[in-house]
Amino acid sequence: MFDIEISNSGVVAVIGRLDAARAAQAQEFLDALEGRCVIDMAQLEYISSAGLGVLLRTHKRLMAGDAGLELVNVNKHIADIFRYSGFDKLFTIKSL
Amino acid sequence: MQKRYRRNFDQIQDIVGDTERFFADNNIDESLRMKVDLSIEELFVNMVNYNTETDQDILIEMRSIDQGIEVSLTDFDVERFDPTLAQDVDIDAPLSERSPGGLGLYLVLKMADSIHYQYHGRKSKITFTNSVAAE
Repeated sequence: MFDIEISNSGVVAVIGRLDAARAAQAQEFLDALEGRCVIDMAQLEYISSAGLGVLLRTHKRLMAGDAGLELVNVNKHIADIFRYSGFDKLFTIKSL
Repeated sequence: MQKRYRRNFDQIQDIVGDTERFFADNNIDESLRMKVDLSIEELFVNMVNYNTETDQDILIEMRSIDQGIEVSLTDFDVERFDPTLAQDVDIDAPLSERSPGGLGLYLVLKMADSIHYQYHGRKSKITFTNSVAAE
């Protein structure tokens, strides 16, 4: 199961498993965003390199406009993936 | 457990479900799930994406080992491609120099406790283990 949605306050919530089968859906959603964007990962259970690629592409696009992604409510398992992949050095990350 | 999966990303959901059941049936520590799920997905996706000359299903086998699990993925009628020789990724590179390419196999090599590649008779088999003992 995977879902991605934006709240009235502009925070994007990613929910479930962001894997290779769902990466295109997530990319299409994030491609429509502009400016600084907060991604709430409280309900993200899993992410693979396909999902990491979606975040990286979006972050690079937004950073070109002096904005970018902020990743919040990141659980320990997802934080481990970010650390292994060096994403902890590229993104502003706030853990749960 | 051994089961064959079609060469399609929509099979990932079935693989995850089968892995979940195998963990439960064999009392394998759930703390290993994220690493195992990730390694299986990355290797499966790699086979689907790069071994395009065949339409044969991919075989996944799981075996319970001491405090952990051994997983094999076998691809049939394919050229040799050894994932253990995948190029390193510079995780310290600045954002402008980072790209998603290569990250999947890099993560597998980082997360698996052991990993082994065999190629024989156009059959490509990669086996990895994860155990609590090695954590």
